[in-house]
Amino acid sequence: MTRIIVITSGKGGVGKTTATANIGSALARLGNKVALVDADFGLRNLDLLLGLENRVVYTAIDVINGDCRLEQALVKDKRRNGLVLLPAAQSRGKEAITREQMKDIVTRLAPNYDYVVIDCPAGIEMGFQNAIAPATEALIVTTPEVAAVRDADRVIGLLEANSVSNIKLVVNRVKPDMIQANDMMSVEDILEILAIPLIGIIPDDERVIVSSNRGEPLVLDEKLSTPGLTFNNLARRITGDEVRFVDLMANQDTLLNRIRRWFTEPSQ
Amino acid sequence: MNQNAHTAEESPVRLERDRKQVLLYLPPSPTVDAINDWRELWQNLKHHLHASERFWESQTLVALKAQDRLLDMPQLSAIAQALSEVDLRLSSVETSRRQTAVAAATAGYSVIQPSPLSPLNQPVAAHQFKHREPLYLKTTVRSGMEIRHDGTALLCGDVNPGGSVIAHGDIIIWGRLRGIAHAGVKGDRGARIMCLQMQPTQLRIADVVARAPNSPPQDQQAEIAYVAAAGIRITRGLDFLKTHRFVKEQEIWEAFPI
Repeated sequence: MTRIIVITSGKGGVGKTTATANIGSALARLGNKVALVDADFGLRNLDLLLGLENRVVYTAIDVINGDCRLEQALVKDKRRNGLVLLPAAQSRGKEAITREQMKDIVTRLAPNYDYVVIDCPAGIEMGFQNAIAPATEALIVTTPEVAAVRDADRVIGLLEANSVSNIKLVVNRVKPDMIQANDMMSVEDILEILAIPLIGIIPDDERVIVSSNRGEPLVLDEKLSTPGLTFNNLARRITGDEVRFVDLMANQDTLLNRIRRWFTEPSQ
Repeated sequence: MNQNAHTAEESPVRLERDRKQVLLYLPPSPTVDAINDWRELWQNLKHHLHASERFWESQTLVALKAQDRLLDMPQLSAIAQALSEVDLRLSSVETSRRQTAVAAATAGYSVIQPSPLSPLNQPVAAHQFKHREPLYLKTTVRSGMEIRHDGTALLCGDVNPGGSVIAHGDIIIWGRLRGIAHAGVKGDRGARIMCLQMQPTQLRIADVVARAPNSPPQDQQAEIAYVAAAGIRITRGLDFLKTHRFVKEQEIWEAFPI
């Protein structure tokens, strides 16, 4: 049974596309056959993050219009064998496709893959509605910010109304030092509001930006960095493995840090 | 969910028990924006069905009271689908619109067309009772969701920031209130808001509005919000009725002198 997962957030810029690229690559690395679907029509980015921009010939719109076969539009990943990308059209808007067409494409795609991962556009309008239409599961990406959590909450409500019931949470851009200093919402704070199961915590890291710009997902590195490792663990949890969460706070309570805080913070 | 299209008078979607079946009331159709309206109605319906107490047996029949709403075949089948997800079965459609009646008949549901002018068909409840029966929901009211009820609302679950509960009577929340609660929305200043943990964005009772204190409460216990002479006050919920009484003339709650 193919699992169809939509990655969504409500708010823009929280790392949906980065998460999609890395989770997709990680799932493929674990030996699964994965199809990534870019549902962000008009603002497509997923091909960039995967480094596949120059291989895109046809897009989902061409498939819908019957200008090419579905297989022709799929871009095979240059590194992983089991990974393909169905690019969105860049020249068209979100209205270029309907819910039924989106469902139809994913249904045709599904039998040949273990996972279909859909990268959802920001917002809750047409593009969002299209992207979640075929999905049976969802990953909510949020960052430890009030606005992102509020939007995530709204999106969870909408997903539930659309019968997507298997919803898991990814907290992105966590800064352990800020949480330690009580300047940032902790993962527990977020879970208390959203009340859905947690599936991944990704630390804020400059290497994520570097990898995005290079078009090389972090999870494909020879030696995994911390964010790469957390993405890889996330993918393993999707496949059903029980993986312990990397303790990002572990480095925070060292003696040196405690002494440093002693001097920088006013005593309470 | 949409403040423009509906007045405070009606709950967006309502389930009621009848003798042998469940009645599903849809709100009357708004004058503008028919497309968005269906999407909102649809979301409302789904939330309501999943959050509501399952007072029905499996496969109970549902009579849809569509009023003056235009429903086409796909919409009717979407409603039937939503009902089947909670073990209910759509059997009849009551509508005053010809197109809806035709669509319902084509889809194989029995159709009841009330004569619009008959005074006997007027809902009795609206005239003789101030409030409808309490509404009991088990759900998290998430951002963007709005629970409306013309009676007392009981909620088992949290109200998240951005969510709201609006009721003609009292509001009782077995959970955290972090959004907005508006009790006694038709002007009943005796209405109260009770919850296990009060951290609201805003409290409203009748025509009185209050902002929550900036610092969260220290002792976490069940609290009750009511209208006092100086505005909305919050106090420990435990002994409220032993220590406070409602003064009808002034429409405020006052503490007994000790």
